[in-house]
Amino acid sequence: MAGSFKRVGNGRVRVRLAHDEVAVLRGLPDQLRSVLGEGGDEPVNQRLFPPAYLDVADIEHDTEYHRLMRDDLVKEKLTNLDLVTDTLARGSTSVRRWTIELTDEEATAWLGVLNDLRLALGVRLDITEDFDGDVDDADPRAPALRLLSYLGWLEEQLLDALRT
Amino acid sequence: MTTTAPTRERTEEHDDVAEPDVPWVVIVWNDPVNLMSYVVFVLQKLFGYDREKATRLMLDVHHKGRAVVSSGPREKAEFDVYRLHGHGLWATMQKDR
Repeated sequence: MAGSFKRVGNGRVRVRLAHDEVAVLRGLPDQLRSVLGEGGDEPVNQRLFPPAYLDVADIEHDTEYHRLMRDDLVKEKLTNLDLVTDTLARGSTSVRRWTIELTDEEATAWLGVLNDLRLALGVRLDITEDFDGDVDDADPRAPALRLLSYLGWLEEQLLDALRT
Repeated sequence: MTTTAPTRERTEEHDDVAEPDVPWVVIVWNDPVNLMSYVVFVLQKLFGYDREKATRLMLDVHHKGRAVVSSGPREKAEFDVYRLHGHGLWATMQKDR
């Protein structure tokens, strides 16, 4: 499983994943899209679009901030999701692996989407303390916690690749 | 550590006079999901900080619950908050009193 992301020439990042990993990832962008589409004060949206101003004296500034900026923030996230969906639909498949080379823009989109997915999962799972990735099998949230752990592992590898 | 969720609270001494000279500070709050390496990466990318400074700020966020990552006039601070929100960091801004 080692080495999902690797910096290759031309500023590109190569992704190599097992088929079951790609299958999992392909199912995720639509879930985030639908949350973003719901808008409003759904808890995940509160986390993805938090207040800019906390002081009650600045509450009008905060309202204005969200009125002006929220659509742009949503648009950025949707653009990232589209890039990730597109790249997941491409790539080459061998018997054992799925492989694609990402441009810088696509790799940045992957990073954003992996992080947004983890933030959304963290809210859904009500994670309030640092999560070390260990999952108790008896925990009814175990499958979702394992997904959170897996996405974090992928994100760490992508960050390593982007830094080299 | 436990999450210190930013809560909206009233600070002392508000006057209604415009205060163009009071700088604003941008604060990043600890959250339990963002990876430490990701926070360092974002602070370097958005503010051009070197690895050492970005790491120091990240550790402040992690251990003290928050850190001031930038400051300036309100418009600049708001732009910084916007970019931090775009990258999923838990950022707010307030007057530097």
